Amino acid sequence: MIKRRKKSLRGFEDLGREKRRVKFDFILFFLVLAISSLGVLVIYSATRETLPGGVSDPRYYLKRQVIWLAAGIIICIAIQFINYRKIQRYWWLVLAMGIFSLAAVLLFGYEVHGSKSWVDLRFTTIQPSEFSKIFMIVALSAIMSKWRGEKVYHVTFKKVAISSLVALIFVVLVLLEPDYGTALIYFIIYIGLLFLSGANFLYLLSILGLTAGGFFLALKAGLIKQYQLDRILVFLKPDVSSSEGAGYNLYQSKLAIGSGGLLGKGLFLGKQTNLSYVPEHHTDFIFSVIGEEVGFVGAILVVLILGVIIWRCFYIASNSSDSFAMLLGSGIGLVILSQVVINIGMTIGIMPIIGIPLPFLSSGGSSLISMFLGIGLVENVYIWKEVRKSHEIAYQEFK
Amino acid sequence: MGSNIKIRFRIVLYLLVIVSIVLMLRLYFLQVMSGELYAELASENISREKTIAAPRGNIYDRNGKLLVKGIPVKAVAVEPLIVSKNEDLMKTLSECLDMSYEDIKQKVEQSNVSYIDRVILKQDIDTATMIYLKENSSKLPGVEVIDLYLREYDFGFLASHLLGYTGEIDEERLQSEKYEKDYEGGDQIGLTGLEEAYESMLKGKKGKIIYEVDPLGRPVNILDETGPISGNDLYLTIDIDLQRVVEEILYQSILEVRQKKIRDTDEYYKVPGGAVVVLDSKNGQVLAMASYPTYNPELFVGGITQTNWDTLNDPENYYPLMNRAVMLSFPPGSSIKMVPAYAGLAEEIISERGRLNCAGAWSGLGKDFIKYCWQRGGHGSLDIRGAIKNSCDIYFYQVGYGLFLKDNNMEELLQKYLRIFGFGSATGIDLPDEDEGLVPDKEWKKDYFKDQPGYDVWFPGDTVNMAIGQGDLLVTPLQMAQAYSILANRGLEYKPYLVKEIRDSEGNLFPDSSREEYQDLNLNEYFIEIIEDGMVQVVSPGGTAAGVFWDFPLNEIQIAGKSGTAEFYGRQDYAWFASYAPVGSPQYVIVAMLEEAGSGGSNVSPMIEKIYRYLFNID
Repeated sequence: MIKRRKKSLRGFEDLGREKRRVKFDFILFFLVLAISSLGVLVIYSATRETLPGGVSDPRYYLKRQVIWLAAGIIICIAIQFINYRKIQRYWWLVLAMGIFSLAAVLLFGYEVHGSKSWVDLRFTTIQPSEFSKIFMIVALSAIMSKWRGEKVYHVTFKKVAISSLVALIFVVLVLLEPDYGTALIYFIIYIGLLFLSGANFLYLLSILGLTAGGFFLALKAGLIKQYQLDRILVFLKPDVSSSEGAGYNLYQSKLAIGSGGLLGKGLFLGKQTNLSYVPEHHTDFIFSVIGEEVGFVGAILVVLILGVIIWRCFYIASNSSDSFAMLLGSGIGLVILSQVVINIGMTIGIMPIIGIPLPFLSSGGSSLISMFLGIGLVENVYIWKEVRKSHEIAYQEFK
Repeated sequence: MGSNIKIRFRIVLYLLVIVSIVLMLRLYFLQVMSGELYAELASENISREKTIAAPRGNIYDRNGKLLVKGIPVKAVAVEPLIVSKNEDLMKTLSECLDMSYEDIKQKVEQSNVSYIDRVILKQDIDTATMIYLKENSSKLPGVEVIDLYLREYDFGFLASHLLGYTGEIDEERLQSEKYEKDYEGGDQIGLTGLEEAYESMLKGKKGKIIYEVDPLGRPVNILDETGPISGNDLYLTIDIDLQRVVEEILYQSILEVRQKKIRDTDEYYKVPGGAVVVLDSKNGQVLAMASYPTYNPELFVGGITQTNWDTLNDPENYYPLMNRAVMLSFPPGSSIKMVPAYAGLAEEIISERGRLNCAGAWSGLGKDFIKYCWQRGGHGSLDIRGAIKNSCDIYFYQVGYGLFLKDNNMEELLQKYLRIFGFGSATGIDLPDEDEGLVPDKEWKKDYFKDQPGYDVWFPGDTVNMAIGQGDLLVTPLQMAQAYSILANRGLEYKPYLVKEIRDSEGNLFPDSSREEYQDLNLNEYFIEIIEDGMVQVVSPGGTAAGVFWDFPLNEIQIAGKSGTAEFYGRQDYAWFASYAPVGSPQYVIVAMLEEAGSGGSNVSPMIEKIYRYLFNID
């Protein structure tokens, strides 16, 4: 802390020059760009030969992903022009957007694979539950952060009550679609934020306990069916080679990744995935394509890059200047962390089969753009932290 | 920021490190440690292997005339395990193949066993059906159109018993050691005759195609392809023109004999069947082999119908699928007498000049066991030549009794000589299911009558009866021909065979298709000459078949022959004639047999005479 203060003092001395310098975490940004670009390549590899009905252009998915990537980058940069404190001030607006969009899905959405998660906007379709992850993080961060008038940052019972209510609304709305995977991610985000906010462990334990109780009741009441549970837990069976259902997906995914070996079969040469043996190979099972085509070395690299991205998020969060910024950055880190672990874990048979995308890599605009929005917010926290700090220090020195 | 929060961030950071390590370890296990296993499983997962049928070899006669050829057809094959579960699919197939739903269901379900991976629903489909099936293959899982080679017979019925027929391999064979390796469900295999005997030569080598499929089983990419190798062609010893003549003569003779009544009765001869064997006496090659009744092998092309199959196996039709020259044995009657004649001379029971008396009846076995000659009036005093010429039973009773008495029948001399002449064991001809015949002896009788005490003893009468070809002695026409060939060759035994050469599809001769020459039985040539003298007299004036050969130019082409008329309890007599010619430098051995046709001398020898006329170009 002392060291940092010295650095900042030095910054104060060159205040005029420092203000003009663009502060931006290039490591985070370039890693995100790199991993997204790899995603584009792998998606092209996976979809060249398996196109949706009526499409003959082998670059169909490639083009879409490139457009979304461009949109993501633009949003990521554009958001830097708004100070995150402004976003914090209008958190209720963000909250309203999140709830409204999830409600809209239930009213106007259409079903894919039995879940009503999509809204058709004529020019494109979107999956509001992806964007709502970010909206929820903003809202929860605002609720749990230091309120105006509070002398010391402290997570009070009131904050916990309101935030848990907000999280519950989001989770329930997504469960109604139903999209259990995303609901799980929402839940993890909330628990993670509560943990990192420094809240008392009693709160954490009660939330976990209440959730477990609710889950048990839902199982008893038949809201969750045994077969759904079985499907999710199929990965626990030691020798999953069954040719049907979720076991089939897992078996094919393990075949694809395992057969990639040390160096992989080469980009565009993954037979298991290119021939569609692995279902959803360009979305939820994109990691199977990576494992097959670029092998252990490539897969490890992907895991490492994603790990560094997550680390940067938490690093920026923990070094931010206020509690909102800290929670916001952590929330983004938590989204990426939970999705990466569950998604990759699923494809290699150590996590339940839950349909959630792999951040930055899975094909799909909503996921990619909301992830870039998230990264944009993290960068925002990074950029506006330094400026504010300089001002603060300058103000203090002036006094 | 409080230190509490710092610690919690650190915990999340550790968590991040730990899960990253777990993911990487799991990847290491999957990709590096088990990578090869998964690579193997993966390639099994996406590649399929399919065989390409090889054209079956052709069969030619000795002069290169094409007898049987393979014709390629398209057939519909299904995977029973997939199709049997899919009722709609079976209905679609029923419409498109013009087969009843029940037929398809039955065919698919009866083969619904794990090791049958393919069953042929219909052979020889038309082009329109084929195109329909191929175009709709994505809607017809487990159904494929395959190439098959069926048979086409250029000479119809001719030599059908020799050629045999082909058909779809059945489950039992698929499981057997012989077929389990190179065969799969739906394959056409030789089921009888030469088709069966030379299956491994004719079948060729299947081609193989390895391709990748998508998850729906549709081929997307060919990985490896090996073309099929055609089967080898067989060149037979058969002369198809002679075969035609022999078959016609056999058929005509049977029709003629059926018109005759048994002497002193109103009963017609039944003649359910007969057989003729023509051998090249110089090497054992079978020049013609006929069996009646016969069948049309074309009935089996593309699968025989149940009705036709039942007809062919109906006892009313006397089993046309049986090759009577090889697959069945009959009592030989007097045509066997040259064996006791030789045995008698060799064992000094009789001598060249020694004479025995025939008074029409013989009581050598005791007053209660009087045995008669076929000539009730008796033949008077006869030497060996005369005994053969007249086929005197009493002479041979005494020979048989003498053989029995020698060393108290310890050596079973008559059986010993019968075996030397090849009776009681297969000739080894290259045809499947050859009958060994039966040379009864003490041991056989003991075993056969083991449940009837008192009958299980070998009686002197057994040997005596056997000396005139009666009793339990059974021989095949081919064995008889081989025995006469031994006489013609003065003790050299040539094994009869049907395939002269095997050539691959490019015409290259198979080196190992040559045959071992002969085996010298070390017989006494002079004794054989004595017997031959007797057999020459059989067709000469005064002999048992003299009437038939009266206008045959015997002075130019001398024939040695012996008739046989065998009694068989409950049936009419079996008629035989065995012969070779020309005496001096024999070229042909001809043996003919008619079931339940009375006297061999009068009813079978005309066939032999006609065949010699054809062979020697005599009008």
